[in-house]
Amino acid sequence: MAGRDNVAQAAIAPCASGRWQGNSLSDMRRRMVDRVATGLCWAATVLVLLMLFSILFVLVRNGVGGLRWVTFVHVTLPPGQGGGLANAIAGSLIQTGLAVLIGAPVGLLVGIYLAEFTATDGRFINLVRFVSDLLLSAPSILVGLFIYMIVVVPTGHFSGMAGALALSMLVVPVVVRTTEDMLRLVPLSMREAAIALGAPRWRVILFVCLRAARDGVATGILLALARVSGETAPLLFTSLGNMNWSVSPTAPMASLPVTIYQYAGAAYEDWTALAWTGALLITAGILMINITVRLGLGRNRK
Amino acid sequence: MTVAEKQPVPAAISVRNLDFYYGANHALKNISIDFPQGQVTGMIGPSGCGKSTLLRVLNRMYDLYPGQRATGEVIFDGCNILGPRVNLNVLRARVGMVFQKPTPFPMSIYDNIAFGVRLHERLDRAAMDARVEDVLRRVALWPEVRDRLRDSASALSGGQQQRLCIARTIATRPEVVLLDEPTSALDPVSTARIEELLDELKADFTIAIVTHNLQQAARCADQVAFFYMGEVVEVDSADRMFTAPRENRTQDYITGRFG
Amino acid sequence: MDRSATSPSALMGVARGNGDAAFAAIVRCAAALILLGLGGMVAVMAWGARGAFATFGPAFIIDKAWNPVTQHFGAAAPVFGTLVTALLAIALAVPLAFGIAVWLTEIASARIAGVIGTLIQLLAAVPSIIFGMWGFAVLVPFMAHYVEPFASHTLGRMPGIGPLFRGAPYGTGFLTGGMILAVMITPFISAVMRDVFLSMPAVLKESAYGLGMTRWEVVRRIILPWSRTSVVGGIMLGLGRALGETMAITFVIGNANHIGWSLFSPGNTIASLIALEFPESAMGSLKFSSLMAAGFLLMLISLGTLVCSRLLLRTRSAGR
Repeated sequence: MAGRDNVAQAAIAPCASGRWQGNSLSDMRRRMVDRVATGLCWAATVLVLLMLFSILFVLVRNGVGGLRWVTFVHVTLPPGQGGGLANAIAGSLIQTGLAVLIGAPVGLLVGIYLAEFTATDGRFINLVRFVSDLLLSAPSILVGLFIYMIVVVPTGHFSGMAGALALSMLVVPVVVRTTEDMLRLVPLSMREAAIALGAPRWRVILFVCLRAARDGVATGILLALARVSGETAPLLFTSLGNMNWSVSPTAPMASLPVTIYQYAGAAYEDWTALAWTGALLITAGILMINITVRLGLGRNRK
Repeated sequence: MTVAEKQPVPAAISVRNLDFYYGANHALKNISIDFPQGQVTGMIGPSGCGKSTLLRVLNRMYDLYPGQRATGEVIFDGCNILGPRVNLNVLRARVGMVFQKPTPFPMSIYDNIAFGVRLHERLDRAAMDARVEDVLRRVALWPEVRDRLRDSASALSGGQQQRLCIARTIATRPEVVLLDEPTSALDPVSTARIEELLDELKADFTIAIVTHNLQQAARCADQVAFFYMGEVVEVDSADRMFTAPRENRTQDYITGRFG
Repeated sequence: MDRSATSPSALMGVARGNGDAAFAAIVRCAAALILLGLGGMVAVMAWGARGAFATFGPAFIIDKAWNPVTQHFGAAAPVFGTLVTALLAIALAVPLAFGIAVWLTEIASARIAGVIGTLIQLLAAVPSIIFGMWGFAVLVPFMAHYVEPFASHTLGRMPGIGPLFRGAPYGTGFLTGGMILAVMITPFISAVMRDVFLSMPAVLKESAYGLGMTRWEVVRRIILPWSRTSVVGGIMLGLGRALGETMAITFVIGNANHIGWSLFSPGNTIASLIALEFPESAMGSLKFSSLMAAGFLLMLISLGTLVCSRLLLRTRSAGR
């Protein structure tokens, strides 16, 4: 490197040598600052990656022991009697499933509205998009309180349905976002071609545009599913939890996150062990959905 | 080409004193032109002179966009289709359109064609199969796709996709077919096949085609209209337009002096 | 072609019953549902809180007491805890997120940046309760045994900032809470930053490098000024998430209604207060109403933050 600099200097020496050498001190300072900044960027990235691996490591170390058959087939039992997470797993599947069944259609319709009706409803659309974005990051525990007030109080009891409704409020804005974004990627020419055949607008939207956007929309729904399956706070005051096997949506229902929450703080070793196993299960499931979706997206972009 | 000389052919569509606006922009100025039944009308002229705009008036495509409006008369089947009580879905079924870029829908080859038919007719399975085969044969796509009708249409080549789009358009049995530079995105071989196809189709349909390719207009069109700055400068038979144009601006354009 | 098979269709007559009007009505109803959702949340909170506000008045917000025995409630401590932990989280997360975004866009090669970027986004997908358990199992002991004793011996003796780092090293408290939140929101902020950095026209960057600027100078003088609004919007988005976070904080905050200078002391946030005390409060009681009032305050704080964030980010999304 030094050798090359010398050659360069020799070549242009008559007029530029002074300028090349005169700034060397501040040059060195600038390069030092650059190196330090680069190093700090590396450090930030490594630190956050370490956090991720630390979380995964702790989950596996503490949770892998509980990955036994009984965990999946037995319901939760009082401390010291063994027991598993069957009711919590079933409850989680039912509630997140119901939440997606309720929330995804609403999200789809709103996403369609935001993407396809801008010509006529511009102002109102901006408001709806704004509010949907607010819901996307509204505190989830307040969603739980809201459903408690409008469902649990009037019906008089906690229920799996109330839990599913609370989760569906979190599903909707995620699906709205992706649906709108994906529909906007559908080329105008495809819409015009369908309309030129004499198709009414709703058929164009549902059978041509939405079909063209289906991969992206499915991705959005999966990500929404992943997001709500780990939510605890909205379920605390809605589906409450249930120590027994129950799949009725009108009764209080167990769920993995709430069971984890109750067991993690307990003083019994077998309960905390189950909590870690539940945590491992749910994290593995969510990360698996995320990885699949991201790999799928990467493939489609190419 | 004595046909064009005496104009004995009735017009499928007559445009009378048409003005068109994109917001404040006056895009078509007092246009009057006939599209004779069963003939190919070629529309030529520099970019942005209103050719495509006129096509989009003929099937009221402009209705999709607020701020675009047309005044004057467009007579089709005895009705002024610019009027307020026109059923746009029926109009668009009877005046079909093929676009510059192939626009296969994200579904199978079969469903691409059935999509339009199902909008307007209730056919049983056998009739629908027959219709699909019929139109695919007419666009000479049948031998290539007969074994993969259930495959996605996006797997076809560009030329095949465009022929599929033409098949899709004629499957609803329109009376008029509008083509907006249908070959500008295609290679020469595919272009030649589409041109052959136009020649066969004009037995059944009235055709209006916008093209930038003067040779294409000369080869395919019975009647040619030259557009310039939102006006129709000249309408004549293809022979006369390219050999003895009446207007200087036409002369300049077809000899390549501008545009 | 035999056209007689086609039923002759009437050109005239507005297309009735083609479903467009019904479809438009359905999607508009769905859109209205969204507004109803958020409006309903605010209204229900306000309604549930009316008892507390009627009893304590506006002083509820600045009252430090939270005493079920004397039926005296005030939200000052949880509001304080919510703001302190969220601001700590931002102070820690912003440099981290910025470093990651710069690393991903300017330092790493595209291939590696893709992989690492995905890993970091996976961190955002981890549920908050998992962060809580991890914090309780890993971070709290680490803080109690190493960080807090060390900090109180060194930083705690310094004038000015000393009081921030004094106190018993429980491991739980404001600082630990802020750190957990920081880890949680870093992926969100860095994702926003990365997207903005990537959306910058390459010409601008290249001409800056062409002038002989170092990488850091390009980041500092070209990229950062160019993307400032969106970066601030992304930070506000992270702040909004930090304010409303419940489960992660509940495990490590210490759950004491306390206001003080020490970052090591246990505290509480509105969200964790609700999570812990709501199950033990009877419907219609003053405590119930006070919790709803605290929830209402949280709603206002986080909505205010999110509105700011969206307004700042909107300049960007409007251009798409």
